Amino acid sequence: MPSFWAGAARVFDVSLGEMLWSRRTVFMALVTGGPVLVAFVVRVAFALDLPAFRVNDLVVSGPTIFGLMVWVFFLRFTVPVLGVFYGTALMADEVEDRTITYLFTRPIRRGAVLMGKYLAYLACTGFVVLPSVMLIYFLVVPSRGGSLAAGFPSLLIDLALLALGLAVYGAVFAFVGAWFRRPLLMGLVFIFGWEPAVVAVPGYLKQFSIAHYLQGLVPHAIPQDGVVSLLAAVFREVPSTASSLFWLAVIWAVAVLLAVRAVERREYVLDQ
Amino acid sequence: MTAPLVAEHLSKWYGQVIGLNDVSVTVPPGVTGLLGPNGAGKSTLLKLMTGQLKPSQGRVLVLGEPIWGNPALYLRLGFCPEQDAFYDRMTGLEWLTALVGMHGLERDAAEASARRALGAVDLLEVADKKIGAYSKGMRQRVKLAQALAHDPDLLILDEPLAGMDPIARRRTIRWIRDWGRQGKSVIVSSHILHEIEAMTSNICLMHNGRILAEGDVHHIRDLIDEHPHKVRVRAEQPRALARELLAEADVLSLTFESGGIVVETAEPDAFYGRLTALAASGTHGAIDEIDSPDDNLQAVFAYLVK
Repeated sequence: MPSFWAGAARVFDVSLGEMLWSRRTVFMALVTGGPVLVAFVVRVAFALDLPAFRVNDLVVSGPTIFGLMVWVFFLRFTVPVLGVFYGTALMADEVEDRTITYLFTRPIRRGAVLMGKYLAYLACTGFVVLPSVMLIYFLVVPSRGGSLAAGFPSLLIDLALLALGLAVYGAVFAFVGAWFRRPLLMGLVFIFGWEPAVVAVPGYLKQFSIAHYLQGLVPHAIPQDGVVSLLAAVFREVPSTASSLFWLAVIWAVAVLLAVRAVERREYVLDQ
Repeated sequence: MTAPLVAEHLSKWYGQVIGLNDVSVTVPPGVTGLLGPNGAGKSTLLKLMTGQLKPSQGRVLVLGEPIWGNPALYLRLGFCPEQDAFYDRMTGLEWLTALVGMHGLERDAAEASARRALGAVDLLEVADKKIGAYSKGMRQRVKLAQALAHDPDLLILDEPLAGMDPIARRRTIRWIRDWGRQGKSVIVSSHILHEIEAMTSNICLMHNGRILAEGDVHHIRDLIDEHPHKVRVRAEQPRALARELLAEADVLSLTFESGGIVVETAEPDAFYGRLTALAASGTHGAIDEIDSPDDNLQAVFAYLVK
């Protein structure tokens, strides 16, 4: 019998193609394509030297705009949304399509099926999100005095941060999808209701969000000059980098373990 | 020889609904037919036997071991589900190779097994075609292929003939008989007695979540024949086919429906034989699908449980 990870690898092979060519890919292309379009508009606006990019006679630089886009478009929107839509559907899609039977009657643990599909989700979303961020980087950063080479380390950190966000949100919503009924609704309430609310208000509740810990890793990406520093001020009380990494790792590990456990114990009754 | 499958006081309920009620059955080696109308509990029993569901009460032993939470058993068990569900974008070969690969085989060995299985169900020629482009009969056969590709000791087939044309049906029945002769244990479910009878004389009769009878098929055979038997035929030229069939004495009534006809016959064996011959000759165009509405068996079961 294949080991847990060998089984997960086989499920990954099957699931990646299915995921890439699913209806959700169109949705994902729209979600990630929007910021690229905005970046293109910004590039044109820079070229035309429009006043919209001057605040109190201070020129907003390309890297500043890029940092803002990574935070607003990706970390606060695209990554959680993809986590919800893909994570909650990891098993649900197979159940809805009634193909789960073929995976659950193989000599691999059910948890390996979930893990394989989770890894396919990471690869699938990573293949789309990370290149689009790079495209935005190349469109926006070189303008207004920005240097591609100087900003490159920061880009790598941004990409790692996005991958981490996809991993943690995906794991949490994989657990929600495996454990609860109506997981999509719960996920949407979490990312559009709970997280924005608790992150914006002072207090300890923000510790029960993923966004709070991602913030702890992002200050380098949040611009420090001009109008954007006002936005940064909203996100005070951010944890340290080490603390953020630690808690994100804990959330990820607990969510993955609980999701695996839920799938191994749960019966999936298919509609005939 | 150990019984490949034993169920002891097996019950399954979904909330307030009882799917299976205190079923105890020992399935002997060879081919066994699981017969019952839709809703009898056949699929629930098969899902329990294949470890997809957990018993609410009782236990099920497959090849001597409990199946729930025991994935290693799937090395020796092949399952062909009822539902017509696939990864339509994959080719038959890709799909089978991927599934066989989950049994721990390297890619080349998995592909060789997949090719062998596709050959066994006459699908090698379309192995590189996408499953989405397969006909209903081909889809049924590729499902059979995925069940037997890893050469299991026990095959469990849920309504494997549903939606097949008469010729594919005859071939599949022959394969199932052959697999039984090769020493595999095969459990086949159907709601059509004549299908089961063509494969084996050993049956389990199910109704309302219970096993009504087990053993030789012949003692319920006479009961079946007392009741008119309805057959739905989807054909290229339903009118020409209807003219031909109405000339036969055993055809009691015939009604047209979209793309086909529903025939009521007093002698199902003779009728199925004629239909297969007609399909093979192609005299009245292609016969795409035959199916038996559920009320034939329902009438017999109603009689049995009186």
